[in-house]
Amino acid sequence: MSSLVGFLSLVIAIGINFYLFLSRYIFKFKKQKFNLFIRLSSLLTLLSFFSLMYAYVVSDFSNYNVFQNSHSNKPLIYKISGTWGNHEGSMLLWLSILSIFSFFFSFTKNIDKSFQRLTLIIQSLLHILFGLFIVFTSNPFLVNSILVNEGLGLNPILQDPGLAVHPPILYAGYVGYSIVFSIAIAGLFQNTDDEWLYVAKKWSLISWTFLTGGIALGSYWAYYELGWGGWWFWDPVENISLMPWIAGLALVHSLMMVRGEQAIKKWIVFLSILCFSLSVFGTFLVRSGILTSVHSFAADASRGIFILLIFFIVTGFGFLVFLLKEPKKSNDLNLLFINKVSALVINNILMIIATLTILLGTIYPIIIEVLYNKRISVGGPYFNSTVIPIMIPGFLLMSVAPILSWQTNKINNSKKYVLAFIVLSVLVLIQSYFLDFNTWGFVGLLLGFWIILASIIAIFSSYKIKINIKFFKIINPHVAHIGVGIAIIGITCSSVFQNELDFNLNEGDKFIVNGKTVLFEKIETTNEINFQSLRGKFLFDIEKNQSKEIEAGKNYYPVSKMITSEAGILHQWNKDIYFILGDQKNNEWFVKVLINPFVSFIWLGVIIMMYSGLIAVSRR
Amino acid sequence: MNRIFILTPLVVLLVICIFSLVYLLSGKDPNKPPSALLNKDVPIFESSSLYNSKDIIKTKDIKNKKTLINFFASWCSPCKIEHPLFFEIRKKYPELYLLGFNHKDPPSDAKKYLEDDGNPYDFVGVDSDGLIALEFGVFGLPETYLINEDGKIIYKFMGPITMDILKNEIEPLL
Repeated sequence: MSSLVGFLSLVIAIGINFYLFLSRYIFKFKKQKFNLFIRLSSLLTLLSFFSLMYAYVVSDFSNYNVFQNSHSNKPLIYKISGTWGNHEGSMLLWLSILSIFSFFFSFTKNIDKSFQRLTLIIQSLLHILFGLFIVFTSNPFLVNSILVNEGLGLNPILQDPGLAVHPPILYAGYVGYSIVFSIAIAGLFQNTDDEWLYVAKKWSLISWTFLTGGIALGSYWAYYELGWGGWWFWDPVENISLMPWIAGLALVHSLMMVRGEQAIKKWIVFLSILCFSLSVFGTFLVRSGILTSVHSFAADASRGIFILLIFFIVTGFGFLVFLLKEPKKSNDLNLLFINKVSALVINNILMIIATLTILLGTIYPIIIEVLYNKRISVGGPYFNSTVIPIMIPGFLLMSVAPILSWQTNKINNSKKYVLAFIVLSVLVLIQSYFLDFNTWGFVGLLLGFWIILASIIAIFSSYKIKINIKFFKIINPHVAHIGVGIAIIGITCSSVFQNELDFNLNEGDKFIVNGKTVLFEKIETTNEINFQSLRGKFLFDIEKNQSKEIEAGKNYYPVSKMITSEAGILHQWNKDIYFILGDQKNNEWFVKVLINPFVSFIWLGVIIMMYSGLIAVSRR
Repeated sequence: MNRIFILTPLVVLLVICIFSLVYLLSGKDPNKPPSALLNKDVPIFESSSLYNSKDIIKTKDIKNKKTLINFFASWCSPCKIEHPLFFEIRKKYPELYLLGFNHKDPPSDAKKYLEDDGNPYDFVGVDSDGLIALEFGVFGLPETYLINEDGKIIYKFMGPITMDILKNEIEPLL
């Protein structure tokens, strides 16, 4: 029953969007009614989504999708997250989020009404495309032709609280760019005033903040679930989320230039189209099964071709409009040796180069396989040695960019900065020399600390310190950059200064990690509701009374016959001690211990960036 | 000049879409990597016959003739499924040399299996410790390799071959 409701409301919602799309040219709507229809279609799409969720919650195995991906023994939260833990459901989630964005956009005030309608019409077009894709190739409401009492389970690696929320948040980022895309296209058609730039800025900040959160959650999940001890692997799936993120960052920054009346409209429109195109391209790469990863549920060529077609239509349409309806000429840029405009332009150029570099590395294997029938893989070494150096000048610049002037070359207090930089360099050099010297470590630490220090100097010397909301809004760019600095320190330390220790141990053995004695207490196996767990119990720092217990092991999921590794992590503010339990050989257990310094700084930096993103939304 | 810049994204889009489309239509499955041995020399091996331990086959013995190498075992049920097809091949291509490698199998079981289901092979080599399979990069049984006259591997298939695969993929190479 719920499946029927879900399917019907999905179809009706698509129908409404068709009607709205045609209405622009055939019928004349009153504005109010138009918005009403948009909201109706959004609510119907949500109804459809919640019907599917309901089917998951009550384990309605007469729905084929539920039968394939759920199991009555699963805890409730994973029944709910099972809704989007599969291809069909996740596409419905995609469409639902698109609807939510349209819904809220229809309430936007202080925007030209006809402009708003045009934007929503473009959203409708996107809704139709993705809606038809779901109905024809990925219908989550198919009826199960056999009568069953039990489902086939869900990919156990996805049974994790982090992953339950990761897809919706990431999608909110991806799909949020649809609004930015629609606004930009509408801006090309109705080339009247520049008011839409402010609206675009708001929405692109919202999308970017969600995208940041989504990527960070996925990355954190990879850190503790995959058991490799790292948090970023330059996996194609990570790359395709990073591309819209960097392009989105460029977009947010170029939209800043609106404030200095230096906006390059053409460039902003280009970035807006690019961000959403990259999001759709990412969806295509993952969903078509061209890339294998934990995200590709089932490879199906027809689906791949359909999404490729959507990608082609959306991106082609966007860039074609861009070609034919060139934005009117903007003001000339006030480019000086070092002023805000030139800093923002350099930042944008670097970010686009970085995005293209990642794009090249991601699609290169596809091109090579088509041309030479050879399977190659482009991984960490390529990206580390290309993307990171490209970003370095940008990092250097961002420390002072927010206080640069729009009009002149002058930097206030420039002597302070030079002095601070020299002192900092010497300090970091000394510190690096006494620890083991590593060029990347030195560069990373210097950059991270420099960004933080310069931002703090800027805050204290350029503004009057007050504790109120307005003040936090004013210093927000600096706060965001401090977040970046903190994240850079975390990234540098955890990757360059990671320490790895290997042990072969019997139960009861003691071993030394980081100067502390660790006891390998015992191995324990237990039966949980939906899996069997094997855990090695470790007592860290047994010489102290408050020794900490760490559990590392594996889970076995009988329904899907899969084993997942569960790393045991001891979080300290300045390092994570990361235990991985390996296999048993000759009665000895292989145990790997990784010491990851300052990992928590990465997450802290990300949280600060997201906070700034939200603050910036409220700032005009 | 400006126009060219604005055209670039469209051109890039077209290139990406064309390559992706070709990739999708070629039916490539990223889960099934092409063998690293494809178009390489057949690995060096030496194996004794299942029926006579003094009868030895070496890499150079299959030079100058087209050879189909099949890894099988009596305990492998998919092998049983593809087994009758080798008689088809035998009948249709009498020139083709059929070499079977019996993988990690007690000889008595292997002999019984070939007695019950028939023996289509010209030579059945013993690979009791699986070292030959290791050299060939065998992933799981059954696996089939086609070697040309120059001793190069020109085709590899993982899993039981079927009539379709025989018709569409193997026969064009024979």
